[in-house]
Amino acid sequence: MGGQGAVLADEYTAGTPLLAPRRANGEVLRASMAYMVAGLGGFLVMGLLGLLMRLDQGGLMVIPPEWFYRLMTLHGAGMVASILLAGLGGLAAAVSATTRLSARVLWIALVVYLLGTGFVDLATLVGGFGAGWTILYPLPTHGFVWTMDSALAMYAGYLFVALGLLLFSAHMLYALARSHGGLTKVLALRYLFSGGRDERNALPRPPELIAAVISIDSIVAAAAGAVYLIPLFAQAAGIVGSVNALFAKNAVLLFGHTMANLSIYVTAGLVYAALPAFTGRAWRTTWPVVFAWDLIIVLMLINYSHHLYADFAQPIGLQLLAEIASYAVALPSFIVTIIGALALIYRSGIRWTAAPILLALGLWGWVFGGLGAVLDATIPVNQVMHNTMWVPAHFHTYYLLGAVAFAWGYLFYLVRALSNRGDARASRMAAWLYGIGGAGFIFMFFVAGANSVPRRYAVHLAQWQIYARIAVPFVVLLALSLAWLSWDIGARFKAAWRGTHDPTLES
Amino acid sequence: MNPHVVLAVLIALGLIWTAGWATVLLRSPRAVPVETIQKSEARVRLVLLTSFAAIAIVLFILTLRRLPYQGTRIMELGPPPVTVAVTGAQWSWILSRTRVPEGVPIEFAVSARDVNHDFGLYDPRGRLVAQVQAMPGYTNRLVYVFPAPGTYTVRCLEYCGLAHDMMTTTFTVAEQ
Repeated sequence: MGGQGAVLADEYTAGTPLLAPRRANGEVLRASMAYMVAGLGGFLVMGLLGLLMRLDQGGLMVIPPEWFYRLMTLHGAGMVASILLAGLGGLAAAVSATTRLSARVLWIALVVYLLGTGFVDLATLVGGFGAGWTILYPLPTHGFVWTMDSALAMYAGYLFVALGLLLFSAHMLYALARSHGGLTKVLALRYLFSGGRDERNALPRPPELIAAVISIDSIVAAAAGAVYLIPLFAQAAGIVGSVNALFAKNAVLLFGHTMANLSIYVTAGLVYAALPAFTGRAWRTTWPVVFAWDLIIVLMLINYSHHLYADFAQPIGLQLLAEIASYAVALPSFIVTIIGALALIYRSGIRWTAAPILLALGLWGWVFGGLGAVLDATIPVNQVMHNTMWVPAHFHTYYLLGAVAFAWGYLFYLVRALSNRGDARASRMAAWLYGIGGAGFIFMFFVAGANSVPRRYAVHLAQWQIYARIAVPFVVLLALSLAWLSWDIGARFKAAWRGTHDPTLES
Repeated sequence: MNPHVVLAVLIALGLIWTAGWATVLLRSPRAVPVETIQKSEARVRLVLLTSFAAIAIVLFILTLRRLPYQGTRIMELGPPPVTVAVTGAQWSWILSRTRVPEGVPIEFAVSARDVNHDFGLYDPRGRLVAQVQAMPGYTNRLVYVFPAPGTYTVRCLEYCGLAHDMMTTTFTVAEQ
């Protein structure tokens, strides 16, 4: 890439409106769009399953518990996989503006990843597997209503998803390291440790730095998944008798919680990539940006254990470390990314089309969900909030109104840039309605959590049903706004796909 | 810790955040050169960083005094005179006794026979007051003082399969 990359990058960070995707590799953009469409399409289907579960919890329809837990398992696993996939696709598009990625590797990783999701579909919908997306040992082998074969299909699904993620991340790291002359340069480590004096002229663009951070943690998460799954496969084959329950819990949460966390950080990278195009202001790689993101590599891998506060067998030092890490990870995200994004918007003269509206909604949801998470990560609070609806409340907030909003915003940005067609005016209204529907929906989770309503219950007591009933109209509003946004994307998608064949794109 | 207070804190902080976020959005249409806001941006960052870091440190120190773990609780309350052995199994709770006194520390020694469960203690008003995981191969010890008599409910709060939502039992807290 050399000098040419630098020229493109300057245009990129200077926020030249909507130029970035047109400078990227057309083949990579097609793969990226496939990731985003598969991811957001999966999100829509999983969202419908969520609506069914809320109708059931509100007493407005009856789903037999066996089916409820199958759908709950599919909804959880499917959402994590879908949203992460959409984010990865967006990040590949953003990075491809300055870094040469292999479209072939991206397609192979996508196929492997989707093969995994296919196994999960089979395990739950056909095999009847319903041990929850966390597949918490030893429940998969103690289901009574599902077979060992379906548990094995679920493990296989996770294995393929982890392999797809591993392939994507390893390639991303390799490509970034090659274009920057080493991994330490992509992470700007000399710049970081010199206090911003050394190598200030060879800094990665924010999406590149973030892609490197994400890729490192993805590789660790995939390895944790393997560490979790290998003994489970061995147990199924009769090679080992049992697995330590506390070890298994740590391993599965390091895998699953990190996978879930990755989604929000991957999609935060999309904000760095797209927001400058709408505000006309550059988002530069400063020392705080490098410090924040390099720190996140470590913090994202520690904070999973705030889900183990109620496991009194976990060493107390780890419990306290989890609380410190949970607080600490919120600080760089808020001070650097959120404040940085707001500073980009403030008095910028931005035109509020659908993409920046969705990105701004994502900022709101990330912080609001983060507040709920930080409260739950406080050990005495966790005693009375954990395993209630407060938990789905916080992660639905920063998924639905954080990561997903960022991903939709980025897809709008990409489709607009490639199709040369702006979004429909009604999409702006739909984007705001998405925010209102989402906020009402997640708020009822928080209220239910504060009233001690347990999570993951197929049947709710009569006095708990009110929270789900109030949430349902908001979910319907959300579904309608998403239907409109999808239609608007769909109407311009063909033109955008053709736009990736533009001869002015690099190849 | 009262869960309603936690919700009130969330709403208060959420409103402050929403007001700040909305202010930025409402002031976005009129463009000014980026240089004119850079100083105030740096100031805002510094103020937020120092205040949030201070709040986090205070919260962490407060946490240390209110840990739910056995050692901290016994230091605070003294050795529990009553122990209840609890076993979680798909899908029922087995308690060694179903009547305990109010006002004295009670130790629940919680384990599981098959899969992970969570011993969630609900007071007579239906509010979750404490919880601990029931894990196969481990005994987790929860020490709790019941402030008032009445019928308390145990609910399973760790998803454990088909009848998870029906895995409940009750016990009586008697007046001293």
